Amino acid sequence: MKYVGKKLLTMILTLFAVTLFVFLAFHVISGDPATSMLGTEATPARISALREELGLNDPVLVQYGRWAVNFLKGDMGTSYSYRMPVGDMVSDKIPVTMTLTILAFFMMVIIAIPLGIYTARHAGGVVDRTIYIINQVIMAVPPFFSGILITLLFGRIFKLFTPGAYVSYEKDFLGFVGYLLFPALAIALPKAAMAVKLLRSSVIGESKLDYVRTAYSRGNRTRDVLYLHVLKNALIPVVTFLGMALADMIAGSIIIEQVFSIPGLGRILLTSISNRDYPVVLAVIVCIAVLVLVVNMVVDLIYGLIDPRISVE
Amino acid sequence: MHDKKRKNYNLMVGGIITGLMLFFILVGIFYTPYDPNGMDATAKFAGISFKHPMGCDNFGRDVLSRVMKGAGTTLGVAAGTVFIGTFFGVIVGAVTGYFGGILDEILMRVNDAIFAFPSILLALVFISLLGSGTYQVVIALGIAFIPSFARIVRSEFIKYKNMDYIKNARLQGAWHLRIMFVHILPNTFTVLMSAIMIGFNNAVLAEAGMSFLGIGVQPPQASLGRMLSEAQSYLFRAPAYAIFPGVVIILMVLGFSLLGDALKREE
Repeated sequence: MKYVGKKLLTMILTLFAVTLFVFLAFHVISGDPATSMLGTEATPARISALREELGLNDPVLVQYGRWAVNFLKGDMGTSYSYRMPVGDMVSDKIPVTMTLTILAFFMMVIIAIPLGIYTARHAGGVVDRTIYIINQVIMAVPPFFSGILITLLFGRIFKLFTPGAYVSYEKDFLGFVGYLLFPALAIALPKAAMAVKLLRSSVIGESKLDYVRTAYSRGNRTRDVLYLHVLKNALIPVVTFLGMALADMIAGSIIIEQVFSIPGLGRILLTSISNRDYPVVLAVIVCIAVLVLVVNMVVDLIYGLIDPRISVE
Repeated sequence: MHDKKRKNYNLMVGGIITGLMLFFILVGIFYTPYDPNGMDATAKFAGISFKHPMGCDNFGRDVLSRVMKGAGTTLGVAAGTVFIGTFFGVIVGAVTGYFGGILDEILMRVNDAIFAFPSILLALVFISLLGSGTYQVVIALGIAFIPSFARIVRSEFIKYKNMDYIKNARLQGAWHLRIMFVHILPNTFTVLMSAIMIGFNNAVLAEAGMSFLGIGVQPPQASLGRMLSEAQSYLFRAPAYAIFPGVVIILMVLGFSLLGDALKREE
């Protein structure tokens, strides 16, 4: 319980530090929001009136506090370019990015766990060596290039999907998931390759320990030793990796969304950066940061559950 | 035994690939078959031929010449990024690892916070602060790379700082600065080299990603990521235009990652 509390506290502190840093940074560069909202031709009197109305004359920390409280209430400010509440622009993008990430995560797990165990059991064999080479190559492929290759392969040659024909989840949920399968594969592949490599060396490392010999000497079959003893311990580092990979995937989807023209958080973030629409940039970055930090914390908690030694420390 | 053999094999293949890539880039600095930015309206989307071994792009620019220059740009950005990351990472890691105490505690908390944050997102924050462009990407990625180097160097310094030969040097009156950088730092060489190779690998991927998103290297300058994003619009018309820059990225990253694997110290 103390462990959970400590992790929760760390997460809140990190979140506070990250949002404060990003807020201050944007506060310094974004110039005067009153001027950007009214345009350069506005009279000084109108600008100062708007400044007063927006509370821009208060100290920065007060402004941060107000922004944070509003953010928690769901009010993320107003977009400069679209003159609409940022919350409305962002809220329907979050499910898109989340679905993409979760699909990619499951693909990674489904690919990595069986292959990792198989290559460890048959280390040095032909399959192991082939997978080692394929893994090395896949890890070197940038996700957006594998996205392009997947578009070519499945979109052009096999005609399994129409590139660019994104289906909104509100209209057709199955079509939406079907379209996202391909980008999710592009995100999942390099991470799966890393996970296979890690699981393989983890299982091999565990198998050399004394308790495994003991388990064998007590008459257990190879399969029982592997699944009942070795795997339990070998999976511990892999779980940490999978968690880190999930957090990475949330950020990695920014690029993949661009390749497959998916209107998710990454899309809106990039348009807003080029439009210098700072309230939107700030909101999206904070949203992604919250997702990443929550994932990190959940991983830490799971880690504490499967390996009680951690939480004692 | 088997793993050792694999390591030597990695070193050899990685060395050959990286050597060939460096040669390719070096030649590209002094000589390209065509002007990389020269447009030829008659050669738009020209296929693979002896005249244009990798074909031409939508402006009729020779893809081979652009890949040669672009690989150089990508490697240059990666080198700048890794340099910033290593330089500041070594200083932060050395100071925190060697002295410990409250400064270590604070800097490591900050480090953890940055580390928990995906580096691409961090770079995007800096890009939106600094604006897009080649130098901005180097700085943004460089800063995002500092924590991982700092972590590695710090743990190495903690390992060495209480060893007898360090105590001995201290008794002889060596300054802290001398102990840190003359006595300890050279010992971290293997670990650091492996980290630098992995850093190069990540930096090439990150640069390509940033340029792909259009916020890195600006046109008409060629960069591998930039070329891929331009090629993507013509993917079905001229697939070769996308494939060659992509393959060069893969080769670069593969070379560095194999070298990094081979250099990793035997645990």
